[in-house]
Amino acid sequence: MQAQLLWRTLPSLVLGLLFLSMPAMGSCSDKYPELLGQLQKQADFMQHTNTLLDLYIRSQGLDKNGLKEHCRERPGAFPSKDALQRLSRRVFLRTLDTTLGHVLLRLAALEQDIPKAQDLEMLSVVKLNIRGFKNNIHCMAQLLPGSSETTEPTPTSPGASPSPTPTLDTFQRRLEGCRFLHGYHRFMRSVGQVFREWGKSLSRSRRHSPHQGLLKGARRMQLSGRNKRLMPRVQLAPGSHRGAPGG
Amino acid sequence: MALFSVFQTTFLLALLSLRTHQSEVLSEPLPWAPESLKVSINSTHQCLHLQWSVHNLAYHQELKMVFQIEISRIKTSNVIWVENYSTTVKGNQVLHWSWESKLPLECAKHFIRMRSAVDDATTPEQRFWSNWSSWEEVDVQNSLGHEPLFVFPKDKLVEEGSNVTICYVSRSQQNNISCYLEGVRMQGQQLDPNVSMFNLYDVAFIRETGTNIYCKVDRGDDIKGIVLFVSKILEEPKDFSCETRDFQTLSCTWDPGRDTGLLKQLPQSYTLFESFSGKKILCKHKSWCNWQVAPESQEMYNFTLTAENYLRKRSVHILFNLAHRVHPMAPFNVLFNDVSVTNATITWKVHSTGNYYTLLCQVELYGEGKVIQKHNVSVKVNGELVLSGLQPDTEYSAQVRCANANHFWKWSEWTRQNFTTVEAAPSEAPDIWRNVKSVQGYCVVTLFWKPLTRLQANGEILFYNIVVKDLDRPSGLQLLSVPAPANRTELTLDQRSYQIHVTANNSVGTSPASVLVVSGDPGDEVEEERVKGTEGGFSLSWKPQLGNITGYVVEWCDRPRDPPCDLQWKHLGPNTTSTVISSDAFRPGVRYNFRIYGISTEMVPHLLEKKTGYSQELAPSDNPRVVMSNLTSHSFTLSWKDYSTESQPSFIRGYHVYLKSKAGQCHPGSEKAVLSDDSVCCKYKIDDPKQKTFVVGNLQPESFYEFLVTPYSAVGEGPHGAFTKVTTPDEYSPMLIRIILPMIFCILLIMILCYLKSQWMKEKCYPDIPDPYKSSVLSLIKSKENPRLTIMNIKDCVPDTIEVVNKHEGTGKSPTEPEAAKPTYLYLLPAEESYSGPGPCICFENFTYNQAASDSASCGHVPVPTKAPSQLGLLTSSENLLTALEKNCMNSLEEIPAGESSLNYVSQVASPMSGEKSSLPTNPPQPELCSEYKMQMAIPLGLAAPSSSGSSSLSSITLLDEGEHYH
Repeated sequence: MQAQLLWRTLPSLVLGLLFLSMPAMGSCSDKYPELLGQLQKQADFMQHTNTLLDLYIRSQGLDKNGLKEHCRERPGAFPSKDALQRLSRRVFLRTLDTTLGHVLLRLAALEQDIPKAQDLEMLSVVKLNIRGFKNNIHCMAQLLPGSSETTEPTPTSPGASPSPTPTLDTFQRRLEGCRFLHGYHRFMRSVGQVFREWGKSLSRSRRHSPHQGLLKGARRMQLSGRNKRLMPRVQLAPGSHRGAPGG
Repeated sequence: MALFSVFQTTFLLALLSLRTHQSEVLSEPLPWAPESLKVSINSTHQCLHLQWSVHNLAYHQELKMVFQIEISRIKTSNVIWVENYSTTVKGNQVLHWSWESKLPLECAKHFIRMRSAVDDATTPEQRFWSNWSSWEEVDVQNSLGHEPLFVFPKDKLVEEGSNVTICYVSRSQQNNISCYLEGVRMQGQQLDPNVSMFNLYDVAFIRETGTNIYCKVDRGDDIKGIVLFVSKILEEPKDFSCETRDFQTLSCTWDPGRDTGLLKQLPQSYTLFESFSGKKILCKHKSWCNWQVAPESQEMYNFTLTAENYLRKRSVHILFNLAHRVHPMAPFNVLFNDVSVTNATITWKVHSTGNYYTLLCQVELYGEGKVIQKHNVSVKVNGELVLSGLQPDTEYSAQVRCANANHFWKWSEWTRQNFTTVEAAPSEAPDIWRNVKSVQGYCVVTLFWKPLTRLQANGEILFYNIVVKDLDRPSGLQLLSVPAPANRTELTLDQRSYQIHVTANNSVGTSPASVLVVSGDPGDEVEEERVKGTEGGFSLSWKPQLGNITGYVVEWCDRPRDPPCDLQWKHLGPNTTSTVISSDAFRPGVRYNFRIYGISTEMVPHLLEKKTGYSQELAPSDNPRVVMSNLTSHSFTLSWKDYSTESQPSFIRGYHVYLKSKAGQCHPGSEKAVLSDDSVCCKYKIDDPKQKTFVVGNLQPESFYEFLVTPYSAVGEGPHGAFTKVTTPDEYSPMLIRIILPMIFCILLIMILCYLKSQWMKEKCYPDIPDPYKSSVLSLIKSKENPRLTIMNIKDCVPDTIEVVNKHEGTGKSPTEPEAAKPTYLYLLPAEESYSGPGPCICFENFTYNQAASDSASCGHVPVPTKAPSQLGLLTSSENLLTALEKNCMNSLEEIPAGESSLNYVSQVASPMSGEKSSLPTNPPQPELCSEYKMQMAIPLGLAAPSSSGSSSLSSITLLDEGEHYH
């Protein structure tokens, strides 16, 4: 049991350090492909249910026939893959950041229902990973062209409510938590796919459009004009042009 | 006053009775009837709370009343609970009463009503009840909302082992609903078409996050459930006790028992209450708590420890006198003073616990890890104790602890210190023994001794002193000093008697001496006896010796098979005649030899008995290496002389000889035996282990046999390994061999002799050039055939032809120059035609003549051509021939006896005139009939012509020159 926990925890810790590496260094990478690759890998990692959902199901006793079937994402709790694909990159990143902010709040609420110290430790690692991922999102937003322009409004997410209504009894809260985590993993899978599409378009544009170099030059110009030093935790507020401290 | 009270009560009862009667008539409420009944619900605790007041009770009035409460479920007629609630009611007081429902209140309507009566304890059967209040209905279902399904109770907390009732409320009667407890379907009981209840008995703790119970509509996605938090029962604290170490703080400890498992939902608390002081503290820790001792001297304490959670409360009590709960602190400053060879003084100090207390201290002395002394000492402040009976040069450990001497509660912790006593001289003489060998007229004595034990050594042994005293020469002393840790030394002594003293020495002094006498007399050899060993060892006994015997010594080797056999010995008293020798080194299958010596008063050991045996005999592991000999057609001999019975794992009692044959018949002296591979053979038994030869007889000629020789002992025989194969010869072969072999030998001998004497034989019988003088053939012929035949003598020859050879000297010209080679020879040989008829001739019979010799190596009779030039050409052109002439002619000339004639005869081999020579462009002379040799006369030097060739004719010339000396 201890070995299994270690096996689960270790890669998470390594990835967490990876997430936090850039903020710890105090600056964003201006290498778009590198950052995109990291985001993609991190999203791929976070989509796995063994990082969070499986742990929750086990600790809450939801791993029983008749219950597992009800641990399904509630439609609308998280943006669908199609909805994400339709968003512009900037809005996509903002949506992603906002949604993950809500996830963090919800995880804090779920923490109350997890009694075991080992499980709590796993949960804190997951939260650490999400914070790192949000920082990378911020860096990516800075690399996008026209980051100072007025952006489109972020689509409202039905699942944006930070926690279920407090009147819910423990059982309903438990099921809701399970559904939420299921949606979270699905959401991260969709996010990973979107990032993969970004990567494909990047390689296509490299092959076919020499204009990319100009684009990157323009981005660098934008970056050079601002202080790139980041706060450890950055959240993109809807409608804002620059990252604001939050968390 | 009492009378007045009775009167008043009687009056009131009468009045009440009258009013009751009136109320029946007038329908008016009686005084003191319950009114304003209100019912509220606590869903969390499934409780109904009732509150009401009493009608017409004056403000100052106080009345003891009883209220009868009825609760119905679903319908008023279904009364499920009736309870009489007695209380003293004051005027205008609002009364409260609660009832906890086992069925969740949401699952059914409840109806409540009550009535009252004055509580007369003396005559309860004569109570005059008021009218029932009207039914109060409690229906929570109406406020549930519009969801299709509900399950109750929500988030209920119970202890394991409890019984719980679950229910669901469905909004639709058509729904088929199933409910599950942790995935297992439950069987319920329908209360009404929309409500079912499930009784759970003796619920168990499953996990900290609670037990999931849920209900689902069979055809739909709706699922509703509850979490039942089942807690383990809060245990009563165990081993609750308080003590003080400094009279300032009381430290109370307890064992909280097992966890309830629901620490988040069901936190538990521990409180400590002291009844004499009335103080109460909430403990921060679940297993201990500190209580400050009051400055004023409170001797007695009565503590109540209460463990509590939402579901249960547990308490334990202790009452004690503070002075009886003193746990002293560990002693300190433990020191050792005046440490000598056998004594030491230990001192220590204790922490002050007030002037009125005496401490009892316990001192334990440890030696070699064991407690060897235990002392109790009463101490006020400082403790002191003399430890005696100690061993010199020994490390000891002493530890001290203390407790309240008057009211023992607990010992303090130990405080430990080590010390070592001073060294002393060794107290015992070393145990010595010897091994004596005679080498080249000397006694080589190996002296062994055992190291002294710690108790004997009294310190570190530094060396051993060995004094060798010649008993024949009192002045002859020899001293050896062997440094420790050696346990042996070797002495080379002559064949006299010596007394050996051995002492062990440490830094303080010398041990008593061990004495042993080594005698040059080896003593009488004694017969060896066999002894049977067991796992426990060898039980040895011997005959008691008469005379002055100071003791006995048994000697053996622990590893007799290894060269340093690890000599062991055991000293025994003079009255002992038996002992058991045991050793961890004894192994099964190893023969151990024991020698028993008697030690005389002069300390001279005499060998008394020898015993040998095995701790456990094992079956022989090896078969002897058998040599077969004397194989005949009817028998053969087997021998295994080099087989040592001494080194076998058991006493060899004899041998078994197994013989396999195709015939399968066993002759007398043998018996049939079936081997492990089911083969049948004949077994011969040899009972004498010293007999190491065996003749296998009665065999068939030209037959195939297999044999095996294996030893046997008391525990079995050797392995049945590979049999040796043998085939008997036929009967005649030996005879033939006896004849043929000598013949072959003789022939070989002759052949060798012939070979070795071949030269001699050749010379004798067939020389290359027969020497007529030496030829025995001639004599043989002469003697047998023609006695007249003899060797030709010059004198007997009448020359009829003279050949004159003209020899030129100093020409030096090449023989190829025709001018220089003018023939100057004068040929005096007779013409062939002048040779007439048969005349006297000399014939040599040359037995070894052959063509090769005639071609090249013979002293060729060169046919003389009639013309000189042609003959010259022949001579100059045939160098081989000349070379051959050189050799053979020289030899021949040398062999000619000199002095008999002025002419030398050169023996010549006649050319057969065949082959190449026949092709020579000369006119070959016709062979002389019956003449192979011709007489030839050498011409004096002045007449001889010079040789036309240089070296090639040198021999001839030399010969001719030498011919100058001819006579």
